[in-house]
Amino acid sequence: MAASCGRAEGASPAGRSRSAPPQAQVGAPVAQNPSRAGTYAAAQEKNAGKSTMDWRGMTVARARLVCLLVLVLAVAAAAPGVGAPVRGGTLTLVLDSDPPSLDPHKTPAGDLSHYLIYNTLVTADKTTGDFVPELADSWSIADNGAVITFKLHPGVKFHDGTPFTSQAVRATIERLVNPATAAPGASWIGPIDRVETPDDLTARLIFKQPYAPIFSSLRIVFLAMLSPAAIAKLGANYGQAPVGAGPFKFRQWIPGDRIVLDRDADYAWAPKFFKNRGAPYVDGVVVRIVPDESTRVIAFERGDLDVLPAAPPSEAGRLVQSGKYQVFRTPVDGGLYLGLNVTKPIFSDVRVRQALGWAINRDEVVDYALEKLAVPMDSPLAPTIWGYAKGLKNAYHHDPDRARRLLAEAGWKPGADGTLQKDGRPLAFTVWTYPLETNVRVAVVLQTQLKAVGVRMNIEQIEPATLLARTAQGAQDAILISYGWPDADILYYFFHSSRMGSTNRVHFSNPDVDRLLEQGRVTVDPARRMEIYRQLQEMLLQQAPWIPLASLYTVTLAQPWVHDLYVDKYGDLLTNDVYLRK
Amino acid sequence: MQRHIAHRLLQLVPVLLSVSVLVFFMIHLVPGDPVQVMLQDYGSAEQAAALRHTLGFDRPLVVQYGVFVWHLLHGDLGRSIRTGRPVAAEIALRLPYTLRLTAASMVVAIVLGLTLGMLAAVQHRRFLDYAATVTALAGISLPSFWFGLVLILVFSYYLRWLPPAGADTVTSLILPAVTLGASAAALIARLSRSSLLEVLRQEFIRTARAKGLGEWWILYRHGLRNALIPVLSIVGLQFAGLLGGAVIVESVFGWPGLGRLAVDAIFNRDIPMVQGIVLTAAVIFVAVNLCVDLLYALVDPRIRYV
Repeated sequence: MAASCGRAEGASPAGRSRSAPPQAQVGAPVAQNPSRAGTYAAAQEKNAGKSTMDWRGMTVARARLVCLLVLVLAVAAAAPGVGAPVRGGTLTLVLDSDPPSLDPHKTPAGDLSHYLIYNTLVTADKTTGDFVPELADSWSIADNGAVITFKLHPGVKFHDGTPFTSQAVRATIERLVNPATAAPGASWIGPIDRVETPDDLTARLIFKQPYAPIFSSLRIVFLAMLSPAAIAKLGANYGQAPVGAGPFKFRQWIPGDRIVLDRDADYAWAPKFFKNRGAPYVDGVVVRIVPDESTRVIAFERGDLDVLPAAPPSEAGRLVQSGKYQVFRTPVDGGLYLGLNVTKPIFSDVRVRQALGWAINRDEVVDYALEKLAVPMDSPLAPTIWGYAKGLKNAYHHDPDRARRLLAEAGWKPGADGTLQKDGRPLAFTVWTYPLETNVRVAVVLQTQLKAVGVRMNIEQIEPATLLARTAQGAQDAILISYGWPDADILYYFFHSSRMGSTNRVHFSNPDVDRLLEQGRVTVDPARRMEIYRQLQEMLLQQAPWIPLASLYTVTLAQPWVHDLYVDKYGDLLTNDVYLRK
Repeated sequence: MQRHIAHRLLQLVPVLLSVSVLVFFMIHLVPGDPVQVMLQDYGSAEQAAALRHTLGFDRPLVVQYGVFVWHLLHGDLGRSIRTGRPVAAEIALRLPYTLRLTAASMVVAIVLGLTLGMLAAVQHRRFLDYAATVTALAGISLPSFWFGLVLILVFSYYLRWLPPAGADTVTSLILPAVTLGASAAALIARLSRSSLLEVLRQEFIRTARAKGLGEWWILYRHGLRNALIPVLSIVGLQFAGLLGGAVIVESVFGWPGLGRLAVDAIFNRDIPMVQGIVLTAAVIFVAVNLCVDLLYALVDPRIRYV
């Protein structure tokens, strides 16, 4: 299932969306060092000239030495990662399914094809993950966060030649929030009131009330800037001939097979963290669509694909160990959790919910079920999400005796088959999860761990649309799914009582939690906001509607001939410096 | 003959109506809300209600069905909920790929199946017969998703002869066609073997041999032609099986056909798309079976349509 800008509950697809939060560990290529590469190339030219001039006066020994040096430099220049960037070639990437649309307002999910075509006002720094300018040069915040004024980068042109001005910002946002557009991502702009355009290069976003997570939203595909001329010309068919201001222009889309993009030769506004701020080095990008993960892996190993984003966990370990490829490990901006439906009698007692928290050994989950491609999660927020608080005092660790004590306090007594019982009813429940290998493996490990404290957990695999519908109605005992989003505001969707019947699948309602969730949305001051989310995490751990399990890594692999690729903290491929040398 | 064709085409109307009723109401019985899938549940209740209204899902089911049939009668299959594109346009893009794949796999099935069947019949109870029978049994038993992956592993990964995915070259067609055609080939092999054995025991074959005709001529002119009738009928039925099998094979080989479109549509509860695909498949199925019926007359001059 495609992740909706990382927020979707499900598996990370190949070529996952821009979604992950600022993260502690960035995937870094194992091969090249670009700055050294430049030095080598320059040194080679310099030395070549010198050797010609001094040749006649040299002794044989000196001549041999120079020959050796030239040879070493020549070999060094031919080695991967060394030398000046090369123009040309086609970068072949892969996705597991077609995007529903290439129109950012018609898709519930952003994937790498969108980010190659479109640019956003802000983006994330490739190393720190901080918000930095992309199509905006700078911004200022006023009225306690309710007004954000962007100064736009001059000279930017969309692929259809339309200049990028404040009118484009207004047209894009108005189209996004227009009910007639029915944009799946409309809610992520928050309580926007209007967009003012004092001049061509100034756009002012005015909100009805402050919306603290706005910058996380501004960098996602739903807020990619669209050409006003193309909006007027194409209307609902924008996705058939998408026009953006990104580094690659749309050429062709054969649904189910490939998306073909050409380099935009006029592109000259790449963010400052790129060495190459102009048009990409490669002539174009082909995004192949290959749904079967085994086939994707074989295609990559054959060299048909240059990059394998989000390698399947079952194959990632083998590919990494082969030592043939560049490896980028990126922690995702969310994780797997066991969500307990608090309206079910078995989970209405908070002690039972807490007992499950103590009974689970997260290290085992990471080591055995997730092949160490994850980190244990001690809060509903993954460590990579803005708002995650370290050292939470209500965090759970593996303590089966404490779990047994809590269950005994709650009145559960050992039954004949080892399962605890109360009033003749066994302490048994069914967990619903997606039919994904990762989820099922985690479920099996949990099943064993819970059995050790006398809890019987049955596992049922349910396809996503059915699970979404039935859990919204509260039909389940528990769910084992994942989520992802870079900002702590995601908790609003999962635990606010107003979200009952949709994303609040655990049917949890607590006025104190509601209040903190509402405060977190409108508090712009980072320190105060952080404190709100710290309190919230303590409260949620104490109430235990969720048992946090693990935050997964995304493993992206690249062929050795792909140079200067970078995978940022959000799991996105940064391609503007990329060149191919086979 | 023309009357027969017209009659069969008229039969298509109630068939399609029944299929449309079944598909429409069955997909509504399955849990899952297309609006929920589209918005991933993160939209507001008002947003979901507005989208539901725009798509017409707030109307009673019978009214929705009526609207669907009305549009269908005007040649409009509606718009995909997931992609926003016209369903007919999406199907028109994907159908040629599936037809190409099913046609190629049918060729594989017929050539391989008839060859194996004939060999087995001619070499009755000898080594080749047993070998062909065992091969056919394997062809029926192997699940296509596994067989496809094995073919990819051998021919794409180790031998590097053929691409594992895509539809851009003629060679891309070989592995999916063989995977898809394998089970149909096995069925045809078994059926043609038994059918040919039956025919070869007939008196007229003995007469033909008595006339001094060559064994291969007897086999081709008298044996195979008579043995083909039951094989032809199974070929028509197998075509529907191939359309169904394409769903899996297209996913394994990244083949951009109708099968994958159907899978995506079902998982996303893209109701108009599911209906459009099933109706298209029904039309193809009926058309192929009509063609097979007409082919009977060509193969067997005793059959006449009036």
